[in-house]
Amino acid sequence: MSKTRKILYGVAGFYVLGLVLLAVIFGVTSVKNNSFQIQNEFKLTDWVHLGVFSINRAVLYLFISSILTIVTMIWIARRMQARPNRVQTAVETIYSLMRDNITRGNMPDSMAAKWFPFLGTLFLFIWFCNLIGYLPLPTNSEEKINIFGAHIPSFALYAATANISVPLVLALVVFIVFNWEGIRAQGPLGYVKSLIPAGVHGPMLLLIGPLEIVSTFMRLISLTIRLFANILAGHMIILFMSGGLAVILGLSVLGWFTLPVGIAVYLFELGLVATLQAFIFATLTAIYLGGSVTHH
Amino acid sequence: MLSHILSFAASSGVGAGLGIGIGGGLGAVGAGVGIGIIFGKVIEAVTRQPEMRDEITSIQWLGFALTEACFFYGLVAGLISYVLK
Repeated sequence: MSKTRKILYGVAGFYVLGLVLLAVIFGVTSVKNNSFQIQNEFKLTDWVHLGVFSINRAVLYLFISSILTIVTMIWIARRMQARPNRVQTAVETIYSLMRDNITRGNMPDSMAAKWFPFLGTLFLFIWFCNLIGYLPLPTNSEEKINIFGAHIPSFALYAATANISVPLVLALVVFIVFNWEGIRAQGPLGYVKSLIPAGVHGPMLLLIGPLEIVSTFMRLISLTIRLFANILAGHMIILFMSGGLAVILGLSVLGWFTLPVGIAVYLFELGLVATLQAFIFATLTAIYLGGSVTHH
Repeated sequence: MLSHILSFAASSGVGAGLGIGIGGGLGAVGAGVGIGIIFGKVIEAVTRQPEMRDEITSIQWLGFALTEACFFYGLVAGLISYVLK
């Protein structure tokens, strides 16, 4: 038997053994637990009260990801070497992805030079926001662990982008920017005309015109919901599968049973969704920006 | 028939849960079909023109994310109906 085979059998055996042991020790009767409210995991509690500018969990995550975006990129740019090490190679890959795929692929070259910093920042900021969302940080101040008398908040997964306000603000910035750029390039009347596809005349204009204008506003909603709902749903499935469901139903066997699904979803979210959503947000921004200056 | 189901749902208090069930479930159906079509077409395209692979891959992820988002529109609509009751 090969070594990987042995490890696989070992893990599967451990899983089945745990399942049987939990079923024997705790039984399979469920006791409904009404004190645990799943929505409290995503609740924002004010830590520093400053009215509208109160500091809570989401604000902390925003600060961390802004600092990460700025510091890591400046740090790597400062110590660039002719013979790159592994980190520099990774950052250069991301840089070329942002420059070639996101920016240059979707807009004319003269515009790409101007808008690359904006799109790059957007990509990196959302990326770091999503990524640190999968790092357990001691931010859940509802539930506290008592370690030698010190009440520290328990570790929790949370992402600033899982809160609808953060994607909404980013989408608003994008919406204002691409409309402003379109109006600047083609004039107010020309911009509205450019929204309507060429070859539409007469009575069809009454039907297509409002539809196209509404669909421009729908971009705002779809940009927001796509990012927010992807991250929130991912966090919810991880929470449910890796224990939340078992706690609600009071059935410990179920928790052990669904744990592999939780781990699989965690890896999927960390490996694909976090990067993909940042990429999509930046790419769509570039497409909207490129589309707003050209008449189609 | 449908009105009976709806009035039953309203009277028995399962309407809120029904919102998430229908929103999430039907959303998953549509997005599942769409994602299947996208990856099927990508495989078809890459086997026809393997040299276009890199270009197709980047478009593929764009299409995947846009389709997957449709599932979340259904889910969010369900969640809104759950919150509004």
